[in-house]
Amino acid sequence: MKRYALRQLVQLTVVVVGISILSFAILHVIGDPVLLLLPQNAGKEEYERYHKLLGLDKPVYVQYWKFASRALQGDFGKSWYTDTPAFKLVIDRMPPTLYLTTAGLVAALLIALPLGILAALKRHSFVDNLCTMLAVAGQAMPIFWLGIMLIIIFAVRLKALPASGYGTWQHFLMPAFTLGAFLAPITMRLVRSGVIEIMNMDYIRTARAKGFGERKVVVKHAFRNACIPVITVLGLQFGQLLGGAIVTETVFAWPGVATLTVDSIRNQDFPVVQCAVVLLALIIVSVNFLVDIVVGLIDPRIRVA
Amino acid sequence: MRRTLTLASTLLVLLALGWLTPADAQTKEDTLVYALQSDVDTWDPPNSVLREAIILGYHVFDHLAARDLKTRRVGPSLATSWKTIDDTTWEVKLRQGVKFHDGSPFTAKDVKASFERVLDPAKKMTARGNHAKIKSVEIVDDHTVRFKTDGPYPLFVERMTALVIHSEKVLREKPHEWVQENPIGTGPYKLVRWNRKQEHLLVRNDDYWGAKPTFKHVRIRIIPEQATQIAELISGGVDIIKAVPPDQMDVIDKSGQARTATSPILRTALLQLDQAARGGPNPFTDKRVRQAANLAVDADAIIKHVLNGLGDRTATAVNPMAFGWDPNLKPYKQDIDRAKKLLAEAGYPNGLDITFHTGPPVVEPAIQQTNDAIVADMAKAGFRVKQNYIGDNTVLVARIKEGKGGPMFNWSWGYYSVFDADAILYDVFKCGEAYAYYCNRELDDLIHAGRSTLDQKKRAETYVKAQKLLFDDAAYLYKWGLRGVWGISNRVEYQAPADEVDRMFLVTPRKK
Amino acid sequence: MKTVAAGGEVALGARAAAPETARSRVNLRRLWRFKWGVAATIVLLLVVGSAILAPWIVPYSPLTVDIQHRLGPPAWMEGGTRAHLLGTDQIGRDLLSRVIYGGRVSLVIGTAAVLISSSIGVLLGLAAGYFAGRVDWSIMTLVNVMLTFPFVLLALAVIAVLGPSLLNMIAVLGVTDWPLYARVIRAETLALREREFVMAGRALGMSHLRIVFRQILPNLVSVIVVIATLQVARVIILESFLSFLGLGVQPPTPAWGNMLGEGRVYMLNSWWIATFPGLAIFVTTLAINLMGNALRDWLDPHMKV
Repeated sequence: MKRYALRQLVQLTVVVVGISILSFAILHVIGDPVLLLLPQNAGKEEYERYHKLLGLDKPVYVQYWKFASRALQGDFGKSWYTDTPAFKLVIDRMPPTLYLTTAGLVAALLIALPLGILAALKRHSFVDNLCTMLAVAGQAMPIFWLGIMLIIIFAVRLKALPASGYGTWQHFLMPAFTLGAFLAPITMRLVRSGVIEIMNMDYIRTARAKGFGERKVVVKHAFRNACIPVITVLGLQFGQLLGGAIVTETVFAWPGVATLTVDSIRNQDFPVVQCAVVLLALIIVSVNFLVDIVVGLIDPRIRVA
Repeated sequence: MRRTLTLASTLLVLLALGWLTPADAQTKEDTLVYALQSDVDTWDPPNSVLREAIILGYHVFDHLAARDLKTRRVGPSLATSWKTIDDTTWEVKLRQGVKFHDGSPFTAKDVKASFERVLDPAKKMTARGNHAKIKSVEIVDDHTVRFKTDGPYPLFVERMTALVIHSEKVLREKPHEWVQENPIGTGPYKLVRWNRKQEHLLVRNDDYWGAKPTFKHVRIRIIPEQATQIAELISGGVDIIKAVPPDQMDVIDKSGQARTATSPILRTALLQLDQAARGGPNPFTDKRVRQAANLAVDADAIIKHVLNGLGDRTATAVNPMAFGWDPNLKPYKQDIDRAKKLLAEAGYPNGLDITFHTGPPVVEPAIQQTNDAIVADMAKAGFRVKQNYIGDNTVLVARIKEGKGGPMFNWSWGYYSVFDADAILYDVFKCGEAYAYYCNRELDDLIHAGRSTLDQKKRAETYVKAQKLLFDDAAYLYKWGLRGVWGISNRVEYQAPADEVDRMFLVTPRKK
Repeated sequence: MKTVAAGGEVALGARAAAPETARSRVNLRRLWRFKWGVAATIVLLLVVGSAILAPWIVPYSPLTVDIQHRLGPPAWMEGGTRAHLLGTDQIGRDLLSRVIYGGRVSLVIGTAAVLISSSIGVLLGLAAGYFAGRVDWSIMTLVNVMLTFPFVLLALAVIAVLGPSLLNMIAVLGVTDWPLYARVIRAETLALREREFVMAGRALGMSHLRIVFRQILPNLVSVIVVIATLQVARVIILESFLSFLGLGVQPPTPAWGNMLGEGRVYMLNSWWIATFPGLAIFVTTLAINLMGNALRDWLDPHMKV
């Protein structure tokens, strides 16, 4: 178990470092931050001075090293537009996004698990295709359209939920459902294929031969084991969720880090973008790591693979 | 396995519930909710060009003078009376017994410190140009101040409504960055907290010297999505929203939960053309091209169909409500043939390509739709316009300030709520100003003449000349004076402000 | 004689005819099993067809502005006219024409991006699976980095700096989508590697290139086709995402994504402006998904996709 965990930890570190390099590379190589900061009529002297100030005269790997060493201490520099430390800006807005994505994942599971299992059990039938349609509906329907429709129905017409904002559990329901609908298709597809695979396995046949009722077979054996691939990939979905989170946060005026990152990219506020990307990656990878550990605990075969 | 899952999910749910910020201790009855589309960049109003900063400033700070919304005349606020000693000296008497939010008393030294800070060229404050005519501020005694001006300064009284008074103690002791986030003023509300880009919470200043606001708390929520703002208004989540698109007014009026109110406002919309070549050489340095652009657009039709009539056509950028407006000057009328001819004369017989920088509808309603209509009109004359949409208003404004707005960009100006032609001519047309892309020495002379005499008749004549010059020279592409549209919840009473400053401290609950 | 001959011919004819009809009956039954897939394919053909034939079938140019007739409702509603079947948008452009033209953009971006990403992904997957060892490890690490990195951020960062345009969109979408292919192809290649015919090929001295492209790849075609089909749907949705954020195809060029974005403030009254493009996205992606599912089941029911 320890060796497995260690291996996963190594991979986690490599991935985070890789992402930090990637984000650093994109931002520094493609745009010239000095040109963006200075007014157009600034002279060459000003340009040189700023260049030195930002440390851009040093070779790229030195810049990266400085960035990385500072980042490890939590110093991602100051936002170029508001002069507050980038780290503080990102951390302040991280919890709402994390809660939202978790709630979205839960919602996705609530939709996808029953649909996926049903579809797997009744393969190729009308029910199978219906489940696919329902699940795909959420993804194919543009997120903001779904979001605004929900607002119109539940907030405006029924006055049952607050239209937007953050604070109570009621504020969570619509955004979570919107995000969940976005994730459901992929999750359902995974559940379905996972269950199909397992249903064909020997131990299921054994269980049936033993005389267990179909229901017991499904719930006790198939379901439990189908969870493994689902949990594994859910960890990955966390990263893909960010796209859905951006639109959801905009529509529901959710004070999350997704909209902060989008705004910062538009502003070309590099320190904030870098900090957000690295921290998000760290979280995503840590989630994956935890998932891998949990799955390793459940199924010893994976540890040896 | 099942146990593990159950445990995990329970933990998750507990985590979610436990860590959620508890709803604040305000109740619905004592809290007024106001929505903004984008957040301010600072709580230091003289350091920002954003309308939102001006509005928020009115809540936490006071100015020397204040405008009476019914008569539109300027009356006392922190200053109780004023008079001219001579052509270049104003003496202002200050109100006694006023305290700042931190307890320190308001005296003349605070006035001096506030003005000197703005006037200091080293500080590069945004509002400096507004008050540049003031040469010095002298303390006569604790409640009397003398302003010496650089020549006669006719706008002095109007401009007293345009600068918030900071505490001298705060300015002296605290660094610049602190002041951006912690406004200490004398105003009817105090800032409790600011979650950037999310919301502000204000609480009533119970020691306020003036009329105390009815609502104890004000929540200012940042809701960038317009459809969400309207949904919030009609579902009771928000009480007041501004810059409602004319197309959505029927949704609000039919909801039974809220209503709309309109008012002509000072804000005037226009398209700036880079005549001054701040962004380098471009076709708009040629007068014929600028005239062609003005002749291509059928602004009256756009006002009628796209804004549902909510706009007042202007011949130049001077608003009908501003002093100095020339009612006899008629605006450009659409004439596609003449536009094409002018373009051909200027060397563009086959039309030309233009980049057009546009932004989101933060203060100008239906801006995207009107831009699309303008672009379509200009295409008829041969202008092939490509829109470059910048989604963040702060970014757009910053780029314009740096000279990167050319060759054409969307602009509107609120006059800093000063009802005078000078309030737009100086900042938007004077050569070298940060937000001006026009340079004409003759106009500069006229601007200077207009602000250098106290004789209102002479000033009016100067401004007539200035407007004729701007019209003939087609300095920019002129549009219209905006009409503000507000959405107001039926649970409150609120008067749509003609000076575009929303005053939450004047809102009262509606009697059932 | 003649009658006999005639009878004989008839008899022969009948016997000859019998197997024909039997065969066609079998085919029809097989197709009926995939009726949803077939229906989806027909719908898809309609969409693609209308997109290709757009210039000839649209009633108006998608760019004609007519502010006098703006916000016109669809023909069947009060205030609608037959002249504009689906109504007009916020500056009077005909919605039907724009929706049809919008299909062009979505389909072009979808197919081009998928071609790019599948090519990259398959090649890398083959390399990882076939050569294993360090090559595998490095490619898989890259895959993990890219899968963890939220696509939207990457797209935003790149497009925000390079500027929004059709080509940039295709490039971004193509270059970021390959990890999924790589993963699946790698797994399949790893399995195929150990098969006898591959070992035989190696024993015969076939070069690696030949083994990969002549022996392994042909077995993977069905997997690739199914994944690619499903990814087209995903790319179309991602395009609408980016357009919603203002980073996709720029107006006035009609694209379902930017039409959604422009129509979002009208959801409360002139709902048709956003709804019809949204419906187009929905129907198209649903059809692609159903067709992809049917394709998968038809080619190889055991495919784990």
